[in-house]
Amino acid sequence: MKLALKTAVLAFAFAALGAQAQERVIRIGVLMPISGPGSYFGVMGKEGIDLALEQLKGSVSGYRLQVQYEDSACSPLQATNTVKRVLEQLKPHIVIGEECSDASLAIAPILEQAKVVQLNAGSVTMKLTESGYKYVFRIFPNGEQQGLPLGRNAYTKLGARTAVLLYEKTNAGVDSADGFEKHFVAAGGKILARIDFGRDVNDFTAIATRIAALGKVDVLPTFGLEGQQVRLSQALAQARVVKGGGGNAVQMGSIWLPYGFDQKAGAAAEGYIRIVQFDPTEKRSIVQDFIKAFRAKYGADRVPTHINAHAYDTILLVAEAVRRGATDSESIRDRFSKFRDVEVTTGRISFGPNGQTTDLSVIHFIETQKDLTWKGLDW
Amino acid sequence: MTDLLALFVQQSVNGVYLGCLYVMVALGLTLIYGVLNQINFAHADFVTVGAFAALFTATRFATKVLGLPDTGAYLLSMVAALGTGALLGLAVNAAVFAPLRERGDELRPLIATIGVSVIIENGQLWLFGPIPYQFDSPFSRETIRVGRIFFSMQSALVVAVSAAAIAALYAFMKFTFLGKALRAVAQDRETAGLMGINPNLLIAITIVIASALAGVAGALLGPVLVLTPFAGASVIVKAFAIVIIGGFGNMQGTIIAGLLVGIIEAFTVQYLGSGLIDLVVFVLLLVMLVVRPTGLIAERKEENV
Amino acid sequence: MRVRIVSVLIAILVVAALPWLLQTPYWRGILVLCAMNVLLALSLNLVLGYTGQLNLGQSAFFAIGAYVSTILIKSYGWSFWLAALAAVGGAGLLGLALAAFAVRLRGHYLAIASLGFAVITYQVLINWENVTQGVRGIYGILPPVRSTIGLFYLVAGIAVLVYVLMDNLVRSPIGETLRAIREDEVSAASLGINGAVWKAFAFGVGAAIAGLAGCFYPGFVGTLVPEAFNIVESFTMLAMVIVGGMGTMIGPVIGAIVLTFLPEVLRDFGEFRLMIYGLALTLVVLFMPGGIVQAWRALTGRR
Repeated sequence: MKLALKTAVLAFAFAALGAQAQERVIRIGVLMPISGPGSYFGVMGKEGIDLALEQLKGSVSGYRLQVQYEDSACSPLQATNTVKRVLEQLKPHIVIGEECSDASLAIAPILEQAKVVQLNAGSVTMKLTESGYKYVFRIFPNGEQQGLPLGRNAYTKLGARTAVLLYEKTNAGVDSADGFEKHFVAAGGKILARIDFGRDVNDFTAIATRIAALGKVDVLPTFGLEGQQVRLSQALAQARVVKGGGGNAVQMGSIWLPYGFDQKAGAAAEGYIRIVQFDPTEKRSIVQDFIKAFRAKYGADRVPTHINAHAYDTILLVAEAVRRGATDSESIRDRFSKFRDVEVTTGRISFGPNGQTTDLSVIHFIETQKDLTWKGLDW
Repeated sequence: MTDLLALFVQQSVNGVYLGCLYVMVALGLTLIYGVLNQINFAHADFVTVGAFAALFTATRFATKVLGLPDTGAYLLSMVAALGTGALLGLAVNAAVFAPLRERGDELRPLIATIGVSVIIENGQLWLFGPIPYQFDSPFSRETIRVGRIFFSMQSALVVAVSAAAIAALYAFMKFTFLGKALRAVAQDRETAGLMGINPNLLIAITIVIASALAGVAGALLGPVLVLTPFAGASVIVKAFAIVIIGGFGNMQGTIIAGLLVGIIEAFTVQYLGSGLIDLVVFVLLLVMLVVRPTGLIAERKEENV
Repeated sequence: MRVRIVSVLIAILVVAALPWLLQTPYWRGILVLCAMNVLLALSLNLVLGYTGQLNLGQSAFFAIGAYVSTILIKSYGWSFWLAALAAVGGAGLLGLALAAFAVRLRGHYLAIASLGFAVITYQVLINWENVTQGVRGIYGILPPVRSTIGLFYLVAGIAVLVYVLMDNLVRSPIGETLRAIREDEVSAASLGINGAVWKAFAFGVGAAIAGLAGCFYPGFVGTLVPEAFNIVESFTMLAMVIVGGMGTMIGPVIGAIVLTFLPEVLRDFGEFRLMIYGLALTLVVLFMPGGIVQAWRALTGRR
C-alpha cells in the first residue's frame, strides 16, 4: 500500500514537472519602428498584430503565443541592437520585422546565423530575398513584383510612351522606381525625368511646375507615403498636369497608398491608377471579418490599411504553421516553405524558394473614378 | 507668354510663396534672437502645435460645438493657434530662458530648447500618432489663375498674412512705445533697465509675441504641410539658415533671406532636383557667413569682435 | 602623478572586466557602442569644452570616418587599418576646413555654420550615389575583429589611449592655450596667442578622433546608410558632453556612458522613451549646468 502511494505521488510529481517543462509556447519577437518618423509603419503594424492575437485569444492548437515588441526605429543600428536583445531575452522561434528596407536587411544576417525565421511584411528591397538567406520569408511584394505590372501595363494597356518618375528618396522609393523604369523601358517606353524628394518636402508646386514644362507626359508613377502623395497629387492637379486637374497625365502608384487617400486628395485623385493588394471592398469573408473586427477595436470610422493587414497576416501565418505542427524555428521554416495558397487578408501566400511570396493573384489594378470610388481594371 | 517666360514666372511665384512660408516660421526666431540673444530650437515645434490646435479647433470645436461656418471656424482656429503659441512661449520662457538668463550662456539655453523640442515632438507623437492629419481650410482647395500662372488660395493667404504680420511688427517696433522699449532692451539691456524699463517683462512679451506668431504660422501652414508631429522638424533647419543669412535679429534681412531661399528652392527643383535643395541652401549659408557674416543687411553693429 | 597612473590602471582593469560582467551579445554590443560614443564625446569636448568653440556639426566627421574607410575597403580593397588611416586623415582635413569658419565666427554664428557643415556633409553622402550608394546603403560590412568582445577591447582600448593622451594634452601648456581662447579670445590674442592656429589644432584633432570612431561603426552594424549621420547625431554628442560635464575630462566619458545605456534601459518604457530622454536632457541642462561631474563634486563636497 505504502509503495503504491509513493509511486503514485512520484508519478504525479513527475507528470507535473514534465508538464511544466513542456509548457507549449511559440515565442514571437516583433521588431517595429515605434518611435521617430518611421512610427507611421510601426503603429499600424502593432495594431494589426494586436488584433490578430486578440482574435486568436493568444493561443493556437494548445500553444500559447508569446509576443515581445521591440522598437527598431527604422534604423539599422537600432534594429541590430534590438534583434540581439530580443534573441537573448525571448529566444524567439520567429521574428516579425522590420518595416523599413534598411533595417530589414540589417537583421537578416543576424537571424540567419541564429537560425531564427524572419517573417517580413513591409519592405520592398530585392536584396532581402536575393542574398541567399534561408530563414527569410516575405509576404510584401518586392520592387520587381510591383514594378513589372506597373511598367508593362503602363505601356501596353494605357498606351503610355513617356513617363516621369516621382519617388521618395529612400531605399524603398529608389527600388520601386527602378522596378518601374526597368520594365517600362524594356517595353519601349521613355523616362523623361526621375524626380526624387526627401521625406521632409511639404510643398510640391515647384515639382509640379517642372513636370508641366516637360511636354507630353503620359504617366506619372509615384512612390511615396500617403501624406506627401496627397500634396503631390493636389499640386499636379493645380498645375493641370494630371487628369484630375484637366491635364492628360495619369498618375500611377503602387500598393503604398491606402484606402482613403482618394478622399484626402479630393478631385486631384481622379484617374489615379494603382495596384492594390489590400482592398477593403473585397468580398472575401476573411477580409470583411477583419475589417469588422478592426473597426470594433479601433473605431468605427477607421478603415484598415495594407500595413494593418500585412501585420495581421503575419500572425495568421504563424498560427497556420503551428496548426500544421510547427513547434520551433526549424519546423516553422519547414511549414512556411511548404505553404501553397494559404489564405490571408492580403491574398494567398505561396512562398517561393527564396522566401518571397509568389502568388500575386490578389494584386489588382484599380482606377479612381470621379466620385472617388474605385473601379477594378481587368489587367 | 512664351513657355520659358511662363515657367520662369511660375517658379518665381512658387518661390515667393515658399519663401513666405519660411519667413512666417523664421520671423519669430529672429525676433527672439534680436531681443534675447538666444536661439529657440523648439520654435518650429510651436508651429506644429499651433497647426494641431488650429485643426482641432476648426474641425471639432468650431463647427461641431459652435456651429460656425467654415470660414468663421478657420478664423477662430487661427485665434486658437495664436493663443496656444503664446502660452507655449510663456511656458518655455519661464522654464528655460529666464532661469538661465543671468549666466549669459549661449550654449545651455540652446541645448535646453533642443530638449524641449524633443519633448514636444514626442508628446505630440503620443497624443496624435504618426499618421498625417488632413487639415483642409476653406481656401486650400481653391486655385487662383492669372493667365498661365496659378497658385492656390491658401498660398495667397500665406503671402497676405505674412506681409500683414511683417508690416504690423515693423510698425509696432518703430512707432509704439512698447516697440521702442523692446529695441532699447535689444541694444543694451542694462541701460534700458536703468531707464526704468523692466527688461525681464519685455523679454517675456517678446517671446510671447514671437511664439504667438509661430502659432498663427501653424494655422496657416497646417493645410499646406504634411501634418505630423514631425512637421516642424522639416522646416526648422532652413529657418535657421534664413535667420543667419538675413542677419541674426534683423527683421528686414530675414524677410529678404526667406524670399531668397524660397526662390532658390523653386529654381533648384526646376534645374537640379529637389534632393539638392538643402545642399544649395546651406552652401549659400556658408558662403554668406564667409563673405558677410552679419547678414544681408547689417543693421546691428558687429558684436563678434 | 602616481594617482593618475593608478586611476588609469584601474580604468583599464574595469574596461577589461566589463564584457564578463555583461555577458550577452546584446549588452556586449551596447558596450562597443558605448566605447564609440566615449570617443565621440571626447572629440567634441576638445573643441567645445576646452577651446570653447560652439560646434554643432561633429556628426560630419563621424560620417566621413565611416564612409571613407568603408568605401576604401569595399570598392578599392584596402586593408582596414590603411583605410582607417586615410579616413582619419580625411576627417581631420575636414575639421581644418570647419576651423577656417571658426576663425571668423563666434557663438551662435559658428553654431549654425557648423550645423550647416553637418547638413552639407549629410546631403553629399545622400546625393553622391556613385561613390556612397546614397540611400541604397552599403551592406555586408565586416568589423576588423570578428568577435564582439574583441571589437570592444579594440575600441575601448583606443578610447582609453585617447583619453590618456588628451588628459596629458589639457594639462600641458597647450591645454592652457586652448582654455585661454575659451575664456577670452581677445585677451588671449593680446598675450600673443594665435587663435587661428590653435583653433585649427582643436578642430583638426577633434575631427580626426571622431573620424576614428567612425571607422568602427559600419563594421559593428554591418550596414551603412546616410540616415545614421543626420544632424540629430550631433545633438546626441552634444548632450553627452553637456550632461556629463563640459570642460572636464571625465565628464564626457560619463555622459557617453549614461546616454548610451539610458535609452536601452528605458526600452521597457516603450513609447515614452524619447520623451523621458528629452525631459532628462532639459532638466540636467537647467539644474545641473556642470553636468553630472558638477553634481558629483557638490555631493562629495569637493570644490
